[in-house]
Amino acid sequence: MSTVLAGHGLIKKYGSTTALAGVDVEVGARDSLAIMGPSGSGKSTLLHTLAGIIRPDGGQVLLRGERIDQLGENRLSALRRKRFGFVFQFGQLLPELPAEENVALPLMLEGVPRKEAVKRARRWFSPLGLEGLEQRRPGQLSGGQAQRVAIARALAVEPDVVFADEPTGALDQATSTEVIQLLTFVTRDSGAALVMVTHDADVAAHCGRILQVRDGRIHSHDQYTVA
Amino acid sequence: MSSPVLSLTWHLARSSGRRGLQSQLLAAVVAAVSTFVLLLMIAASLGSGDRADRTAWRTPHAVPAKAATAIQALTTTYVRHEPVTVVSLAQLPGREATPAPPGLSAFPEQGEVYLSPALVELVRELPADQLADRLPGPARGSYGTIGVAGLASPDELVAVVGRVPTDPAVSTAAEGGNFYDEGQTERATIATFSSPKPSLFTGLDQQMAVLGVVLLVMPVIVLGSAAGRLGAARRELRLAALRLAGATPRQIIAMTAAEAAAVGAAGALTGALAYGALLPALAEIPYGIGAWYTWQLWVGLPWLAAVVLAVTALITVSAVTMLHRVATSPLGVAQQANPRRTRMIRLVLFVAVLGYVTFSTQGSQLGTRQLVALLALFYGAFWLFGPWVVDRLGRIAGRFARRPATLLAARRLSDDPSGAWRTVSGLVLAGFVAGFFSVSQLSFGFPDQPGQVAVVTGDSAAAQRAAAEARTLLREAGVTATVTVPSEDDFHNPLHGSPGLIARVTGGQDQIDTAVTALTPLTAGRLPYTQDYPNAMDNVVTDRLGMVSTATLAMSFLIAAASAGLTAAANVLDRRRVYNLLRLTGTPLKVLDRARVRETALPLAVLAGGTTTMGVYGAYQLNKAADSTMNTSGALQLAACVTIGTLAMLTAISASKPLLRKVTAEPTQTAN
Repeated sequence: MSTVLAGHGLIKKYGSTTALAGVDVEVGARDSLAIMGPSGSGKSTLLHTLAGIIRPDGGQVLLRGERIDQLGENRLSALRRKRFGFVFQFGQLLPELPAEENVALPLMLEGVPRKEAVKRARRWFSPLGLEGLEQRRPGQLSGGQAQRVAIARALAVEPDVVFADEPTGALDQATSTEVIQLLTFVTRDSGAALVMVTHDADVAAHCGRILQVRDGRIHSHDQYTVA
Repeated sequence: MSSPVLSLTWHLARSSGRRGLQSQLLAAVVAAVSTFVLLLMIAASLGSGDRADRTAWRTPHAVPAKAATAIQALTTTYVRHEPVTVVSLAQLPGREATPAPPGLSAFPEQGEVYLSPALVELVRELPADQLADRLPGPARGSYGTIGVAGLASPDELVAVVGRVPTDPAVSTAAEGGNFYDEGQTERATIATFSSPKPSLFTGLDQQMAVLGVVLLVMPVIVLGSAAGRLGAARRELRLAALRLAGATPRQIIAMTAAEAAAVGAAGALTGALAYGALLPALAEIPYGIGAWYTWQLWVGLPWLAAVVLAVTALITVSAVTMLHRVATSPLGVAQQANPRRTRMIRLVLFVAVLGYVTFSTQGSQLGTRQLVALLALFYGAFWLFGPWVVDRLGRIAGRFARRPATLLAARRLSDDPSGAWRTVSGLVLAGFVAGFFSVSQLSFGFPDQPGQVAVVTGDSAAAQRAAAEARTLLREAGVTATVTVPSEDDFHNPLHGSPGLIARVTGGQDQIDTAVTALTPLTAGRLPYTQDYPNAMDNVVTDRLGMVSTATLAMSFLIAAASAGLTAAANVLDRRRVYNLLRLTGTPLKVLDRARVRETALPLAVLAGGTTTMGVYGAYQLNKAADSTMNTSGALQLAACVTIGTLAMLTAISASKPLLRKVTAEPTQTAN
């Protein structure tokens, strides 16, 4: 497995609080990594640092061998847009756009003509069980449907890595299982890596590896074979 | 409302942090500005009515000769283009004593001359041969002073002269009767000073002020509503948490209402206090006949209380309306209701009102009040129509958008057309004001006849006799002039067909004023005059319309820009979670910012163009009613107004870009 994304010796401090105290992590293509830990353990900081949202105070972040932690804000922004996909707990969909336009938006931002962007966006609706919901707005979708649209949007740009921050945090158990199964399956199927922060052990169990973070350090690192 | 709600509201408001306090402070400032502007508009309307009433005593109100106790003659002379009102009074012998006119302690006796303070000053300032010599010299060596009760403005130029009934100044020769007198010269036998007819120079002021109020009231309401929206996002999050903790919708609404009402009332009271404190300064702003007496701009406690309550209520209702989603569902913050579609009934109503207004203004001469009422009706209909247009515009733009920013803007327009309409409504309606006023610079007066002084005589023969004397008088006064007696068929001079003579004066205004003074002895009862006299009505209308339009436009643009800026800032705060997440996922800031600007620019371009056209149409109807021609040169002024207004609005929206940058720079999902 070739390494797609790596963090070496990552350090991040907020005043006197150390959020990351020298974390090393690697993710390969089609790999899925769940980051778990109690509140304040630094798991979200780790995800944001790997995603280029937060700049680390020490260490390096490498995407396919190239350092990204030293890039300027504009290049980082472009990198997040082109090579990463994001799924958040809720609220990442634009409420006024229909589902298909929400999915097509990242492609349009990349300069893909609208017609083509929408066409490519629609391809994701069937695999994610969203047929017939293309024209619905987020407010007209259930929580699970909205998260599946968010997954489609994250994957539409064919990213190297999908970052998911508590993607099932606002869903009930059954929907949560359904969404996480889809997220892990479709991400792996697309060839992208998945890095996910979650509190839920059942959700984490769908990932190939689980990283336990405590006090800004890796507490344990378990590896599973995911079917 | 139970006391725990109040105490909790107070506690939460106090602990809302710096950003919370900033938005509360800003909302209070907007409430203060709205209150101040509303009070100012009401003050101008009520004050100009009071001023008109205060000039009525000068217009003679005829009573039958048997009941009369005195003769009153009103005439108007001009110095430096400013009107001087001269009231001549003569007690009839053997009749009951006539009561003192307003501003005087007693009815003036023969030879007594009373001047307004402003006229006293002007008489002192100007050489006697330019002004003072037009009036009889005071019998007691000095002029009396007309008290405030007889004046409408501290700047008014008024003289009251006591005469005997046989004096030519109160004779039938002083009755006027020319079509261009417009009430500047009148004579009648009187018993009191209870005339209902205000002077030409104040009669239109109130109607014009009311017109300005009608045009400004909506932008002010929009501004107040925008204030209510400030801090809504912060409140939503805080109160959503309370809902999840078990608070009832009623309690949530009560808390929001309490907080918004407190902020609104504090702001409104501050605005009212500022209005009260600034009254002396406001009274110095000239309108029509000049500055105001301070009390004329005092609206009184009932109006003051009503405006404070209205602004507080407006801000409270606006804030509560914004909280509807939270009150409905604790997760309402994260969810988005279905798009707020507008119904076709708005178009139907608008077309019906437009048809009614068009029909009402066809083929009939309407009074100003009727026109103002129609304008208000049209305005209200447009308020209903605006969101419908925005909705359709959003759908059309959404269908054809190629770029992400345009698509975002278009979808946002059709998602919340009323919200988008509120943002642009101020300037769109200001465009209507601009369109209306820019082309309604009425010009139905006589052409100017510079340097000409007219003396009306009884007939042509008298004019011929007076001409020789006029030449002598002018020569003795050192005025270079050519004196002619025009044919009564010649209307190209200030006589406009009346018998008399014309002196064409060489030199500046000083020479013209000197000529008017020098020729005064020639006239029995009527003072010589310049073109200012027949053009008085035209000048009054043009001047008042110009003043009201300039003030209304300036205030409209300021209010519209402020509303747009506030709404844009409130929108950024409302949507900061989405903006933040979009930025995290790599959406360029410029795309978000362009979408915000286009969200305003699209409806602005379409609606402001439409309303400006309708404003021009409204002005056309007004001009038609006034039987006057349109001022086509106003087109340039109109273009300038719309350009300045658009730039001001876009600048106001751009002012919230740093806020957008700030809320999207926070690398966190937390919305606050």
